[in-house]
Amino acid sequence: MAEQQTPPISPIAPVAPVDVLVIGAGPAGATAAIKAADTGLSVVLADEQKAAGGQVWRAKSTAILSAPSTPESRAGDDLRHRLSASAATCLFDHRVWQIQPLDQGWMVALTGPEGPRVITARTVILATGAQERIFPVPGWTLPGVIGLAAATALMKGQMILPGQRVGVAGAGPLLPFVAHEILRQGGEVAFVADLNGLADWTKLTPQMLRRPGLALRGAGWLARLRAAGIPLLYRHGVRRITGDGRVEQVEIGPVDDRWKPVDNQQTRSFRVDAVCLGHGLAPATEATRMLNCRHDHDPALGGWHVATDDLGRTSIAGLYACGDGAGILGAAAAPVRGRNAAKAVLADLADKSGAGQTSPASNLRSVSAFGRAMTSLTIPRDGILDQITPETIVCRCEGLTRGDVEAGITAGGVSPNALKSDTRCGMGPCGGRFCQETAAMLTARLTGRPVEEIGLPTARPPLRPLPIEAVASDFDYDELPIPAPAPL
Amino acid sequence: MNGGPRIVRDVRRSEPVSFTFDGSRIEAHAGESVAAALMAAGVLSFRTAPVDGGNRGVFCAMGVCQECIVEAGGQRVESCRLEVREGLVLRRVTYG
Amino acid sequence: MSTPYDIAVVGGGIMGSGAALRLAEGGMRVILLEQGDIGQGASGVNAGTLSLQIKRVRLMPYALRGHQEWKRMGAEVDYRETGGYTLAFTDREADLLQERMTMKQEAGAPIGFISPNEVAVREPGLCRKVVAASWCPADGFANSSLTGRYYRHRLKAADIDVREQCGVTEIHRDEPGFTLQTSSGPVQARRLLLACGGWLKPAAAMIGLDLPVRARVNTVSVTERGPRLVSSVIGHATGLLTLKQKGNGTVLIGGGWQGLGQPGEGGNRGRVDAGSVLPNLRLARYAVPGLKELRIVRSWTGFEANVPDFYPLAGAAPGVDDAFLLGCVRGGYTIGPFISQLMGDFILGRQPELPLFDPARDFTKDIQP
Repeated sequence: MAEQQTPPISPIAPVAPVDVLVIGAGPAGATAAIKAADTGLSVVLADEQKAAGGQVWRAKSTAILSAPSTPESRAGDDLRHRLSASAATCLFDHRVWQIQPLDQGWMVALTGPEGPRVITARTVILATGAQERIFPVPGWTLPGVIGLAAATALMKGQMILPGQRVGVAGAGPLLPFVAHEILRQGGEVAFVADLNGLADWTKLTPQMLRRPGLALRGAGWLARLRAAGIPLLYRHGVRRITGDGRVEQVEIGPVDDRWKPVDNQQTRSFRVDAVCLGHGLAPATEATRMLNCRHDHDPALGGWHVATDDLGRTSIAGLYACGDGAGILGAAAAPVRGRNAAKAVLADLADKSGAGQTSPASNLRSVSAFGRAMTSLTIPRDGILDQITPETIVCRCEGLTRGDVEAGITAGGVSPNALKSDTRCGMGPCGGRFCQETAAMLTARLTGRPVEEIGLPTARPPLRPLPIEAVASDFDYDELPIPAPAPL
Repeated sequence: MNGGPRIVRDVRRSEPVSFTFDGSRIEAHAGESVAAALMAAGVLSFRTAPVDGGNRGVFCAMGVCQECIVEAGGQRVESCRLEVREGLVLRRVTYG
Repeated sequence: MSTPYDIAVVGGGIMGSGAALRLAEGGMRVILLEQGDIGQGASGVNAGTLSLQIKRVRLMPYALRGHQEWKRMGAEVDYRETGGYTLAFTDREADLLQERMTMKQEAGAPIGFISPNEVAVREPGLCRKVVAASWCPADGFANSSLTGRYYRHRLKAADIDVREQCGVTEIHRDEPGFTLQTSSGPVQARRLLLACGGWLKPAAAMIGLDLPVRARVNTVSVTERGPRLVSSVIGHATGLLTLKQKGNGTVLIGGGWQGLGQPGEGGNRGRVDAGSVLPNLRLARYAVPGLKELRIVRSWTGFEANVPDFYPLAGAAPGVDDAFLLGCVRGGYTIGPFISQLMGDFILGRQPELPLFDPARDFTKDIQP
C-alpha cells in the first residue's frame, strides 16, 4: 500500500518557498506566471479548472477531440501553449482553500487530485477573476435558469447548448454574444431582453471602436439575430419565470431608465426550456477580503474590488492582484495587468528593503477602454430591486425571500455581518456570492444610505467548500497535536 | 424531454460511455462534465433544496454557486466540475 | 451637551448588554457603546456550546445559573437542551475524564458516567473507539449567531440608548464622572462599565489601568447541511472537541483550537490557522465518521480574553472610582447572561446573589514566566 503523506501543516515544515504563487490561470494569472518564470523566478500557478484559460478563454473538456476554432479558442490555445513552454509549474484541478501570512511570505493550503497540500511562497499573485452578478427575479431558482456566463462555459467548454429554445435576458455584452452563439450553434433563441436601451449602447460607440474587430463582430451578431427574426427587446426585463419543476415560460416587460418594471399591460410571455440571465461581472473578492486587504467601491469597475497600485500591489506587502478580480477591465486588459503584477513582484523581490521602484505601467488605459465601456452597461440601477417580489428567493442557499431579508434589515440587521447572523442570508455553501449585492442594495434602500457605505461581510476560509474527507481522511490518532488540557 | 442539446456540427467527441444518476442510466462522453451530460439527457433537476424544497440544477456552471452538487462515492461534488467516466454511480444529495 | 448618563457601558456583547439591561431595570439611565454590531464579537461567533462538562469547577455555580438563563431565552436564541457526552478514546484520556468529571460532579453538575456500549446505542453516529464516556443531561447549545438579534431587541425594548459602530477612542475622568470620546461625538456618564471582551486591555488603558489580559483566538468551523449524525453535544476528554448538529443539519465543530491575530489587528476578528483547523477537523472526523460526507463551508475565529488565573474580572476597577470591569469569563457564553446580572446588581449597590471576582486581586503568582 502506498504511503499517504499528511501535509506538513503545523508547524509549517521548512520546505523551500517558491518566489511566486499565482492563483488563477485565466489570461491575467497565466500571463503573470509566464512573465515571472521568464525572468527566472520560481513560479507555481494553481487553478481549480483542469486547464488554463479562465472563463473567457476556457479550454474544451477532454470529451471534445476536435471542434472548429473561434477567436476565443485560438487565444486560449495560444496562452496554454506559451504556458506549457514556460518554466512555471502548473497545478490544475487544485483548489486553494486558505491563504495565510507567515513571518516571511505566505502559506497556501490546497486540495487536489492527490490530496491536500501546502505551498509556501515569498509572494502571491491573486488572479481569481470575476463571478457573474445575477439579480433575483420570481422563478430564477427553477432548473433551466442559468447565468449568461454559465451559458458561455457550457457552450465553449462542453459544447452543449443551454436548451433548445432559450430566452436571453439581463444586461451587458454577454447578451448578444450568448444569443448569437446559441443561434450559430443551431439552437433557437426566443428573445433577447436587454435592460439597457439602444441609446445606452450607441453612446459607447467611440470606446467600442477602440477594438474595431470586436465591435464589428458584435454588430454582426446583432444583424444575424435580427435577420433570424428574433425579438431584440431593449429596456425590457424578466418579470417572472414559471414552470413545473423546470423552466417552461418566461414573462418579459418594459423597464424605465432605472431598470424599474413599468407598463404592466405591456408584458409578453414566451414558451422556453431555458433562460440565460445575467447582469454583468463582479470581481471575486473573497480571498482579498479574507486577508483584510483594502477594498474600494467603484460601480464602473464592477463594484467592490481590491485596491491596488498601477502594478497590482495590494495594501498588504507581498500580495498582488491582477485581472478582473482587481476591478473589471475585461479580457484585453488582463494580460497587461498580469505582466504588470509580475513586474511588481520582480522589482519588490530584487529590492529587499521594501517596495521596489515602480516600473512604468503599460498601456492599460487604452487596452481597457472597450472593457470599461462594456462594464458601464452593467452598473446596477436601483430600479432592478423592483423586479424582486417579496416572495422571491434572494438567498438561494438558505431559501430566504426578499421579505425575510427585509425583515432582518428592519429589525436592525443593517450591517452585512449583522444581517448574515440574524437571518442566515449569505451563510450557505455559496458564501453569499449570489445574494450579497442584492442584500446590500436592499439595505441601502431601506436605510437611505449609499450602497458603498453598507460594506461587505467578513470573508472566511475555506475559499470554496472543503470536503472533510479531503483533509481528514488519513491520519494517526496518536499523532494529533493535542495540547495540555485546559485548567480545571 | 427537452434539454441542452450537444453541438454536433464539425465536433468530434470521445467514446460514448454511460453512468447512472439516481438509478437512471445516462449516455454521455468520457470527460464531459456531469452537469453538461445530465442537461444533454434532459435532466435539469439535480437536487431538492433543503429549505425551500424547490428543485435545483446547474446555475453558474463554474464551481461557485453549489447548486448543481450531486453525491458521488459518499461525497458531495459540484457536477459542473466532475468528469464523466464509464460506470460512475451518482445520486441526488439528501439532507436527511 | 445633554444631561450625563448614569452609566456608560462599553461593549455590546452578552456581558455589556446583560449588565445594561439589569442597570436599566434598576432605574439607571444607560448608554451602551459598541464598536461594531451588538453581539458580533465572541458572543456571536463562539460555538454556542452550553456544557457543564467543560466548565471550571469553581465556576460551576455560575454555569448552573447561566443554563437557567439560556433556558429562559429559549427559542429566540434557538436553545436546545440535548444533553451531552464527553468521550475518551485512550486510557490516558479515560483517566483524565474520570478525574475531571468527578470533581465537576462534586461541584454540583448532574454529570454521570456511561458505558461505551450505551453510548453506541444512544448515539449510533459516533465511532466505536470510545473507551470511556460521561453524560450530562443538562448540556445543550444555543445559536450564538442569534445573540445580537436577541439583545438588540431587548435593549430596544428597555429603552436603552444603544450606539452601534461607535468605537470609544479616549476616556477622561471629570466631574461628575467620565467623558468618552467616541466616533459619534463625546458622551458623558457618571459611571463607567468596561465589558468589551478581547478589547478590555486597551479600553482599561484609557483609564490608566494595565490589566494582564490576553486574548485567546478560538476557532470554529461549520459544515453544510447534512443528514442527522448526532443528536447531542459531543465533547472530548481534553476539551479539544465540541461538536453539535443544529436543527438545520449543519454541524458546528469547535474545541478551542487557536487561530492567529490579536484585537486591534486588521479585520479585528482574528485569523484562521489551517494548522489548527486541520487537527480539529480530524478529531471531529474520528469521533463522528459520518462527517466524511460533508464539506466545511466556513471556519472563523473570535477573541476570548483571559487573565493569568483564568478566572473572571468582575467588580470595581482598581483605583478608579465609579468605574467597573467585566470580562475574561472562561465559558463566558454560558455564564455571561448570569454574571452580567450580578455585575448590574453590584453597580446598583445591591448584594449580588453569588460573589464577584475582584479585578484588584494579585495575579503575579499566576503569571507564567
